[in-house]
Amino acid sequence: MSSANRTTEVVVCLKWVFQADEPSDARFAGMSPADHAALELALQWATHIGGQVTAITVGPAQADAVLREALACGATRAVRIDTANGVSSADVASAIASVARHAAWVWCGDYSIDNGSGSVPGYLAAALQASQALGVLGVTFESGSIVATRRVDGGRREVLDVQAPAVISVEGATARLRRASLTAMRAAASAPIEVVAPSIVMRTSEHIAHTYRPRARALASPTGAEALDRVRSLTAAGTSSAAHEVETLEPADAAARIVQTLREWGYL
Amino acid sequence: MTLGNFLETMETAEFRVHPEAHIVVDGAICADCTTRECVVACPANLFVPTSAGGIVFNYEQCFECGTCYLVCTQAGAITWNYPAGGHGVVFHRT
Amino acid sequence: MNENVNENVNDCDVIVVGGGPAGSCAAIVAARAGLSVVLLERGPFPGSKNMYGGVVYPRILDELIPNWWEEAPIQRWVTRRSTMLLTDTQALTVDFRTEAWGKAPYNGATAYRPDFDHWLASHAEAAGAQLLTSTTVTGLLRDDKGVVVGVTTDRPDGDLRARVVIACDGVNSFLAKQAGLYTHTDVKHFTLGVKETLALPKEVIDERFGVRGREGVDIEIIGCTGGVNGGGFVYTNLDTVAVGVVLKIAKLAGQALRPEQIIATLKAHPAIAPLIEGGEVKEYSAHVIPEAGLAMMPKMISDGMLVAGDAAALCLAAGIWLEGVNFAMASGMYAGEAAVEAVRAGDVSAQGLRGYQRRLSDTFVLQDHRKLRRAPELVLSDRVQHLYPQMVANVVERMFRIDNPQPKPGLRRILKQERKRAGIRRRDLIRDGLTGFRSYG
Repeated sequence: MSSANRTTEVVVCLKWVFQADEPSDARFAGMSPADHAALELALQWATHIGGQVTAITVGPAQADAVLREALACGATRAVRIDTANGVSSADVASAIASVARHAAWVWCGDYSIDNGSGSVPGYLAAALQASQALGVLGVTFESGSIVATRRVDGGRREVLDVQAPAVISVEGATARLRRASLTAMRAAASAPIEVVAPSIVMRTSEHIAHTYRPRARALASPTGAEALDRVRSLTAAGTSSAAHEVETLEPADAAARIVQTLREWGYL
Repeated sequence: MTLGNFLETMETAEFRVHPEAHIVVDGAICADCTTRECVVACPANLFVPTSAGGIVFNYEQCFECGTCYLVCTQAGAITWNYPAGGHGVVFHRT
Repeated sequence: MNENVNENVNDCDVIVVGGGPAGSCAAIVAARAGLSVVLLERGPFPGSKNMYGGVVYPRILDELIPNWWEEAPIQRWVTRRSTMLLTDTQALTVDFRTEAWGKAPYNGATAYRPDFDHWLASHAEAAGAQLLTSTTVTGLLRDDKGVVVGVTTDRPDGDLRARVVIACDGVNSFLAKQAGLYTHTDVKHFTLGVKETLALPKEVIDERFGVRGREGVDIEIIGCTGGVNGGGFVYTNLDTVAVGVVLKIAKLAGQALRPEQIIATLKAHPAIAPLIEGGEVKEYSAHVIPEAGLAMMPKMISDGMLVAGDAAALCLAAGIWLEGVNFAMASGMYAGEAAVEAVRAGDVSAQGLRGYQRRLSDTFVLQDHRKLRRAPELVLSDRVQHLYPQMVANVVERMFRIDNPQPKPGLRRILKQERKRAGIRRRDLIRDGLTGFRSYG
């Protein structure tokens, strides 16, 4: 990936995942539907801008299966960052970023089916210092940029004009993966796959992740003569919506404020 | 076995459904069929008589066994193909 | 055939259609002989479309995979084999067990087909065959003389050319039909197998079936399928029990009971219910079986093409012997050997491929079928299905019933009375007995 053709360098990130009911059986493992959509859109976008697609996965040797599928469908280069499964999202993103640092367009699925948190694309955008369009429902290709529609709260939609460099994560329904030709499939079976060691020491997600729930706090017994009153005081039902305050801050300060509040509420 | 139980039983098998039906049933031919062997014989119970006198076939939970076209007595009523590669039933423990 | 033209455009020497036991064995043999082999499988992995009545007899694999029992993904070794005759309220079981089948070199085993077939296909890959999954073959490629020169698939750019096509595409074999090898398809030659795999703890299975460790039980049942001709089976996996029925499709159509209802009836039978009580359905499955043996077999060789396994109706459904996977593996092996011979000799015409027919005829594959050619019809006949079980069960019940103060009646008298009560003519009984003796004797 030379920096000369940086604007046409397209990367798709694919995760090899197990089916939920067969958690250790490679026969049932493969790409999530969202990754299928990302691969298809990456291929279409590369054709649109005259670029080529590099498929990247982070995982064990068996994960080559998703790279071969990508090669059969039209990716021209495949890289596997060699780790065990179950690495933390931040480390996965760092490792990908070190391989894809020159990429102009990075496509990802929004969530993997193995309880994915959808966080790799966000980390990746940060690591690449690229703009991000996450949880995209649909895209329109312009010349040199992409108009992406994403889902936001309350059934609303946000329309983004995405410029390179960018990370775009898409939902599974955005595109249906093309069927690989027989010739390409045969060629992909023996095509070279670059295997690289991760650029950093990879930490497992168990090491970092913990379930998000408020820490236990001591509460006074609810007061009230009637059981219903006590339930109301416990749940705050019937009162106006929970206390809130509106502050207008710069993005960095706003992020800090959110973190602080989450900490106060016991989520972090 | 009740219908509800059987629907639960069918849920135990995995089907990777293709957007296009691999088996097509010509309802016009079925409307003239009085014997309707498929309705009893299909092991997945996918042939459903309609109130309008035809038969609706739900291809999504098809085992691809071939019973329906073997048992059918109406020429041209069932157009039978395998689903596109990689789709359809996927057995785990049988 | 026009050897030179084909030579230039061939993608490989041999295409094997279908990654079941027949296809994988054909691919193993051809690839080990140094031929370039493509093995096409329409499912996401070999075995994903396959189910059966539960027991595989892999003796034939001794030639192909020495000590296969040390690596094959089997569930239990069948050390106990029962044949059960059921009426609505009675059960007569002939039960045999032997320690010998529980140790090397073993005899029969229960196995999940998605495991077993996947394992066998991995040997084809190890031998050098290229396995292409999720690829459905849609038809044959033929040259202007009608010689099979390849297949079409459902992928873009999906034609694949080879010198020999081995069709192991299962009971529906559209390839054998397209090649004109089947003269006709008659519904009366087919049965439908349906099965539930029920989860139970291993200790519970061991206790209920009287086995330990990897020992397993296979019970074949007759007289449990209501008005539909067929049979039933119950067998043990490691931590599941499979219960299913095989039903004559033509008879099924005229009945009020659907396949799953016939399984439900079997599961509720007093002789079966205690074995499976509490078992939760893990998987329900169905498959068609080519039941009629020799009566339905197609031609298995044409120019550039061989047919093996279920596609060639090589399934032995003869009552006390119910086999298929071994016939598939053997016919696949022999097809592979014949293809190697033909490719090496530079003659892949039907004449050049005739070594397949010779191998089938010289071995159990066709010899068992010839010997048992009358058995499938006998086993599925109305008398064997609906009249004899009741008669036999009644005879045994009267033999063991103590009607004191009356003395024991003679067996001959009971037999005569029960035969008449069941409405069976003496000459039919004698004729069926002779047919049975000629088949099984």
